[in-house]
Parts: sequence; structure tokens; C-alpha cells
Amino acid sequence: MELYEYSAHELSEMLADSKVSSEELTKSVLCRAKATDDKIGAYITICEENAIEKAREVDKKRGKEPLHPLAGIPIGIKDNISTKGILTTCASKMLYNYVPPFDAFVMKKINSADMVITGKLNMDEFAMGSSTENSYFKKTHNPHNLECVPGGSSGGSAAAVSAGSAVVSLGSDTGGSIRMPAAYCGVVGLKPTYGSVSRYGLVAFASSLDQIGPLARNVRDAAMLYSLICGYDSMDATSQQREYPNFAELLNGEVKGLKIGIPEEYYGEGVDNSVKETVLNAVKELEKQGAEIVNISLPSTKYALNAYYIISSAEASSNLARFDGVKYGYRTEEFTDLTDMYEKTRSEGFGDEVKRRIMLGTFVLSSGFFDAYYKKAKLVAFDICKEFNEAFQKCDVIATPATPATAFKLGENIGDPTKMYAADICTVTVNIAGLPAVSMPCGKVNGMPVGLQFIGQKFSEQTLLNTAYAIEQLNGEIKPAEL
Amino acid sequence: MEFETIVGLEVHAELNTKTKIYCNCKNAFGLEVNTQICPICTGMPGTLPTLNEKVVEYAVKMGHATNCTINNVCKQDRKNYFYPDLPKAYQISQADIPLCEHGYVDIMLDGNEKRIGITRIHIEEDAGKMLHNDAFQGTLVDFNRCGVPLIEIVSEPDMRSSAEAKAYLDTLKSILQYIDISDCKMEQGSIRCDVNVSVRPKGSTEFGKRVEMKNVNSFSGAMRAIDYEANRQIEALSRGEEIYQETRRWDDQKGVNVVLRTKEDAQDYRYFPEPDLSTIYIPVEKVEELKKEIPELPNAKIKRYVKELGLSQTDAELIAENLPRVKLFDECIEISKNRVSPKVISNWVLGDVSKYMNETGRDIAETPLNASLLCRIVELIEKNEISNTSGKVIFEEIIAGNTDIDKIIEEKGLKQISDDSAIEKIVNDVLAVNQKSVEDYRGGKTNALGFLVGQCMKASKGQANPAKCKELVLKYLEQ
Amino acid sequence: MGVDVRHLAKLARLRIEEDKLAKFEKDMESIVAMVEQLPEVSGDASGLDPEHPMKLREDVEGTDKLSRNELLANAPKMQAGCVVVPKTVE
Repeated sequence: MELYEYSAHELSEMLADSKVSSEELTKSVLCRAKATDDKIGAYITICEENAIEKAREVDKKRGKEPLHPLAGIPIGIKDNISTKGILTTCASKMLYNYVPPFDAFVMKKINSADMVITGKLNMDEFAMGSSTENSYFKKTHNPHNLECVPGGSSGGSAAAVSAGSAVVSLGSDTGGSIRMPAAYCGVVGLKPTYGSVSRYGLVAFASSLDQIGPLARNVRDAAMLYSLICGYDSMDATSQQREYPNFAELLNGEVKGLKIGIPEEYYGEGVDNSVKETVLNAVKELEKQGAEIVNISLPSTKYALNAYYIISSAEASSNLARFDGVKYGYRTEEFTDLTDMYEKTRSEGFGDEVKRRIMLGTFVLSSGFFDAYYKKAKLVAFDICKEFNEAFQKCDVIATPATPATAFKLGENIGDPTKMYAADICTVTVNIAGLPAVSMPCGKVNGMPVGLQFIGQKFSEQTLLNTAYAIEQLNGEIKPAEL
Repeated sequence: MEFETIVGLEVHAELNTKTKIYCNCKNAFGLEVNTQICPICTGMPGTLPTLNEKVVEYAVKMGHATNCTINNVCKQDRKNYFYPDLPKAYQISQADIPLCEHGYVDIMLDGNEKRIGITRIHIEEDAGKMLHNDAFQGTLVDFNRCGVPLIEIVSEPDMRSSAEAKAYLDTLKSILQYIDISDCKMEQGSIRCDVNVSVRPKGSTEFGKRVEMKNVNSFSGAMRAIDYEANRQIEALSRGEEIYQETRRWDDQKGVNVVLRTKEDAQDYRYFPEPDLSTIYIPVEKVEELKKEIPELPNAKIKRYVKELGLSQTDAELIAENLPRVKLFDECIEISKNRVSPKVISNWVLGDVSKYMNETGRDIAETPLNASLLCRIVELIEKNEISNTSGKVIFEEIIAGNTDIDKIIEEKGLKQISDDSAIEKIVNDVLAVNQKSVEDYRGGKTNALGFLVGQCMKASKGQANPAKCKELVLKYLEQ
Repeated sequence: MGVDVRHLAKLARLRIEEDKLAKFEKDMESIVAMVEQLPEVSGDASGLDPEHPMKLREDVEGTDKLSRNELLANAPKMQAGCVVVPKTVE
């Protein structure tokens, strides 16, 4: 068995016992990345030299000073998370040459734990998309079927972990961007409670919805990584001040007495029957272990997608206005005046999907339309929160499919934006309500992974991870896809 | 037809906090370009704002000082527009829920008091600076000013002339200085205003079409801009033309304004709640605490000076309009405990002290002079121990760094001679050698008196009590 | 509902090429048609939450400041310590 195939928690022990060096491990993962990436296309930037240097440094430290359990373990980073001195493109021509002069909060955590950064991972441009086909640089392929998309927008993060070209990775989730690719690629993806992981240094898509989270091949790895990155940050005014447990240490697969809510709205029309069946079968297994199934209803779900696209696009139209060719990134070659420079820079620098979202956001905020769109969407969002709160009076976690179907083919939805948007139907409510949710592989349909989503109350990550862990114990930890 | 001018003002004041509003960069003026900046105030991708608590406190204080309701639960909003001096391409401001609203200030004009409504006061960030240079094919952007905290104070359209507008601006400025939240340095742009002007036939209750003027850079400029715009509108109406709601740009050098934007191409700022910041909440106790920190404000001070200290309205206003003067005067009154008349102190503060401040541009607080030293000088004069002239000499010595008054009097021989016999001797000596002038006087040339008194003062090296001198010289001449 | 793509593009400082305009118009119309299906709801959407107010920052100057060169290293054009943009009319 190659080193890249091991899980982070296994590697942590192997490194601690000096059975393996971080340098060997890092070289194995980089080798895997280089060998597979022409097929997978997970990486925008591979940081080979820096990674090996860092690994050597950690190897030297080992034994001399106490190290974090994740020290020396290779991690891939979504390319919208600012990495000091390392290209951070958001998969956009707009930032094709942008090197941040500072680290994101999570990168400070990753660096302080001495993790080894393998590189920056592909994504939909500015995290807008559900297939990673909207990257300016390349398309990412699903390791389980190269003809299929890996999901999006954290497609590179999911595909790299699935392919073994990273042991774990960081993604970001605005409407499902961690959970959906995790589901499509058959890995574990956690979207944490809004405010539990600092957004400082995450290039904003929709500030009120964005959250950074871990992707891994097993629940324990995800829990370890989440424990590392969560916590209060005074630089993020939406960051919550509270104590967090060591999620990995408290991990158990105990579901006895756990009330699992099944919302009918997530199993209706538009959700693939075989996906529904696979998800419900997994839930039944938990019932066998003593969990209790409760039927619940979340009626505002039918408006969630609309509210989500209004709110996220409104915020995006404002957040992406700073990309104007003045301070960083792309600037058009020739222009006649300031307005010409702005318009050409932005038209050449952004891809079509980003332009559509900016225009939608501009539209819903513009004079005369604000009340009918943005304000209404906010009110729907409040209703969604209220319904979740009511539901959590009846159950501890809510189980739904993470996606309405398994991974689709590359190019299949590209011409039809609304069809592409529909792929987010199961995941957006969680961001709207600021809740945590985990996507857990629970089986396959026609050889493609199916994700089971557990949604919890705010800061109930431990319960979610425990429940996911119960599923994992049924099926065993995931190994890198064969390529 | 007679017209009435209607003026409303939007005043932006930079707050003198230590750091910027949304990042911990230094809030300072005049430093080298792009040196007071960080990833946050330059709008680098992924950065987030954090609100400076002092900005909220200062704005609440201004709300209290202008009799506003304080919205202790409020939020911030984004105002979206593209310009190179605005790195995020949105300004974080406040839209529908300002921190303070529904207030007023009373202004004084020609001895009459008038109440001007304050619609709202909100907090927001300043933009950077664009540096234009004809020698160069482009515009340079300096981000140092990005994120400097501002309050915007919006008035009701309650002013009826440029003079009222000026009085309102002066009042706001002195309040800002009294509560010490802004440097109010016009030349540094730390206080700026946009002017809204409309006109209507006298007696009418409806407002005319309103024109907003930008680029008004001084209070006197505001008066010129208002007068120009009111005249322009009145002339246009008199010619039967229509006034359009538009934004015009004031050119103070040429004394004219030109259309900047018409109503049709008004900007659509697409305000929406700032998602990077959550609810601003100031506990009621804190709001009250801040109210207690508000000192006696200019209007109250002027009234007290006139009523309790017997100053003239003019003198009271002159002292009250300048904070260093106020501090010095109030301290002197406190220290002198009625031993010296307030009027005499006021004369010194408005005389020599103000003259020194005006001539040197220095604040009296930067000199060794303080209230107790000034009181001592005044008391010595009142007690006839030194002459008025000597008082001025001592004042100058103190400013120069020599604060030991007794030593100055001794070394410079400033002690006034009021002893009759000593003065008589001087007078006799002087008259003896100036018989010609004595005869002149007696021959009707009365101005010889001044000369003779002068000679006596000279002979006494200025120490003789001039009144006594004059008295004795006169006594001798009339013999 | 008709969507004025040209106007929106202008507001957002985008330029949609003529040959792409029709496709954008069609896409935007279908997107707007999708998202505008919202229930008739009313109420206060300001989202004020005094129970969970934000912590304000102390007014203390930071010490770990980056240099001008580090901060503006990504700027497409610099001169005399400043970012350069096309001449703006004052």
C-alpha cells in the first residue's frame, strides 16, 4: 500500500512513531498528484518545492518539540483561500497572477500545525458553480468516472482527496460547494456552522453564506481538520466566541436514541429515486442501531433555491466589484478612459457564469426591485430558519440526500444555468440558516457515489460527525479511487 | 416676485480616533502616500472589516450634543459605486437606520436664535485621494485616507440664507471641537460639506426643485456657492425657465457651478445590509454614560457668559467660538474667584492672547502660559503693582519661556512706582529740564502735556504709575 | 419579466459583446423567472439581532504592518508609490 492511500489519522500515528517521514509521505502524495492530475485536473498550482521543504522541516522538528497530530500531513487548499506568497486565483482570469501578501486565518492555523501544503485546488470561478466547469484554467474530472463532473464549486478539493492526490483538503461552501462535490466524489465533506470558522482571507462570494470546511476520506480526518481550523477570530466580525471540543477525540458511532428527521420536501420530485433509496437504506441501518426516525416538514424549502440565488448573487455583485484592474489581478491591455478600463477589464476577466450572477445580483438590488427580490428573499430566509428551529424540537439531526442525483456528465448542464442551479436544491437551505451539515458517502448508484447529508442545529458538529461515523462504520473508510 | 432661499446641508466630519474605522491602521493626515494602509483598507480579496468602538462612541456623543434620538440597535449598509479611490467599490455606510436621528441645533445670527433640525447622523468610511498631475498621463491613487472614520450630519432644509448656513456650520464645528471628536481642519479636508439649495416664492409652503452642490471646500465657499446657486435659480425662474433636480459642481475659484449629474443619470447605489458586520448594539447604560461626557456646549456657554459674568454678547461669542480661548477663560474665572472682573480677563483673552494665537498660529496650550500665570498678571495690574505695559512685557516673557513673574518684575524693574513723593521728584526733575514745554502748555498748546508725561515715564523707566504721573504733572502746570 | 441586460451590465461595469447579448438576455430572463417565484411575505427584513451583537474593535493601532511594496506588489501599474489609473476628469 502506497503512503498516499493512508488516512490522516493513520499517518499521524505512523509519523509520530517515526515509521515514516513527512518527506516520504509528501513525495508520495505529490507523485500521485503529478501522475493523476492530467486526468483529474484537481490542481491549479502544485507547490512541490515548498511542500518538500516544509516536510523536511517538520521531520527535523519531530522528537525535539511537541507537534500537532496533523503535523507533516499533506493538505490541498481550495484556490479561493488566501495563501501568503502562493498564487490564489479563484480559478479566474481576473486573478491569474494574484499573490496574496497575507495568509487567511485558516492558513495560519494550518501553518501553525505544521501541515504540508501540496498546492491550490481547482474550483468554479469565484466558487460560482456546481461542476467545476467554470474554472478559467481547466476542468476537473470525477475520479470515479472521468466523464463526469466532480461537482462544485470545491471540485478540486473533493477530487484531490478522492484521487489520493491530497490526504485532506479545505473547501468552501456557500450553497453546497463542499457537500455536493464530496457527494459526487464519494468523500466526507463538512460545512461548519456559520461563524465557527473565520472567513478572513477567504475570497468572498456571498459573505452571509460562505464558510470554509474540511474534505477527507473518512470522518475522523475531517474531525481532526475541523478541530484545527475552527475558533474565534477577532478579524471576522461574524466569528462566534465560544469553546470548541476536540471533535476527533470525542468521535463515537453511537446513534442509540438519536432522533433522525426525514423532511418530505427533500425526497420529492426532482430527486432521483435510486438516490432516495440509497439514502433511506443507510438511514434504516441507523434505525437498526437504535436511532429513531421522525417525519418532519420544512415547507419553505420550495423557495430556498430562489432565495439563495437572490441573496448570494446580491452579495456577490458587491463583493466582486473590487476586481476592477486597479489594485491587483488582471487589467485589460488597451483602454481609452477609466470606464473603458473598468468595463473591458471586468468583461475579459470574468467568465460568463460570474457575469450572470453579478448581473442578477445587480438587478435584485437595483432601484425599484429591491423590495420584490432581495427583501422578499431575506424574509423567506427567516422562514427557513424558523422551520429548522421548529424541526429541531422534534429531532436531533435531519437526513437528506446531499444531491438530487449522482454526478452528471461534463458539458451536460453547461448551456442551461437554471438546470445547473437545481443541483443545489438539497444543500442551500443549510447555508441560508447558517447550520452545519455533513455529506457522507452512503453507497453507489451505477458505480457513482451517493452522498447522505446530515443537517444539525448550530454548533452541533459533534453530533453530525458521530452520526456520519456510524455510517462509516457500516461501510468502512474510503480508499483513494483507482485510476 | 420675491423669493426665499432654502438651504440644507450634509456635513462630513472626519473623526480623530487613533485608528481607522474598519482596520487598525493609523488615522493620520499628511503622511507619505500609501504608508498608512493594510490589506483591509486597500480592499484586498478576502479581507473583512471590524468596526472601531470609538467611532460608534464619538458618533453617539455628536448625537447627544445635537439633541438626537440614539438608535442603539442599528446596522451598516453597503453603498455600491465604482471609483478608483474606493478600493472595495463600495462604501460601508448606514442607510435606513442611522446611529442618530431627529435632532436639532440652535444657531445665533445677529443676536437672534434659530433652531435648525438635524435629520440624521451616521457613520461611514472616507475614500482615498486622487492626485492629478498635468505632467503625467494618468491619475495617481493614494489609499492613506481610505477607511478614515467619518460622520455624516444631515440637516433639515431649515436655513433661509447663506448667512444662516454659515452660522450653522460654525455651530457644528464648535460642537465637534467642544466634544473633541474631530480636528475640524478645513484645509486638511477633515470637515467638508455638500449643499442643497432650492428657492420658492416668499409665502409659499411648497419646496422648489432641489439642487445639490458638490466640491464645497470651505465655509466661506459654502456661502458663495449658496448665494450663486440661489441667484441662478431665481434668475432662471424669473426668465420663466424651469429648475431641474440635479447635482452641480461648485468651482470656488471661478465662482460658478456646472452640472455634474442630472436626475436621469442619478447613481443607483444599490444599498443593502453589510453582511460582513452584524448588529451594532450599544447598551442603554453606555448611551447614558456617553451623554454625561458631553461638556457645556457653545450656546450654553455664551448665555452663561452674558448672564452670569456680564460679558457682552460679542465678547461671549468670540471667546466661545474658539476652544483654547474657552479653556483659558474658564480656568481664569475659576482661579481668580471674583478677585478680578471677568471683563478684564475677557479683554486679555480676546486681546493679547488672541493676537498672539492669530499671529503665530500657535495654540496657547503649546506655550508656557497658563490660566494661573495670566490671572497673576491681571491681578498685579488691578492692584496697581505693575503697569499695563509691564503686564504685556511679562506676558511676552512667559510665552518666551520665562515663567517666574516675580523674577521678571525684579530683573526688568517693572514694579510700578505709585509712591507720591518718588513720583513728585521725577516730575520736578523732568519739568525743570523741559521749561519750554511747560511754557508751551501754559501758552495753550495742551498737547505738551502728553510729551511731559511721556518724559516722566521714560525717566522712571516705565515704572511710574502713569495716572499718578499725569495727575502730578497737571497739578504743577495748572499752578 | 423583461431584463435590461445592457443597463445591468453598465451598472456593474461589464460589457456584453453584441454577439453574446441575445444569449445573456435569454439566460437572465430564465434565471429571473425562476428566482422571482417567491411567496407573498412581508415584515422587517433588516435582520437586526441585538441578542447577538458584534464585538467592536478597540481603537489601538496595529503593529504588524506590511510595507507599501508588499501591499501593492500586485498592482498592474505603479508610479511614485501610488497606483495609477487613467486620468479622471475632476
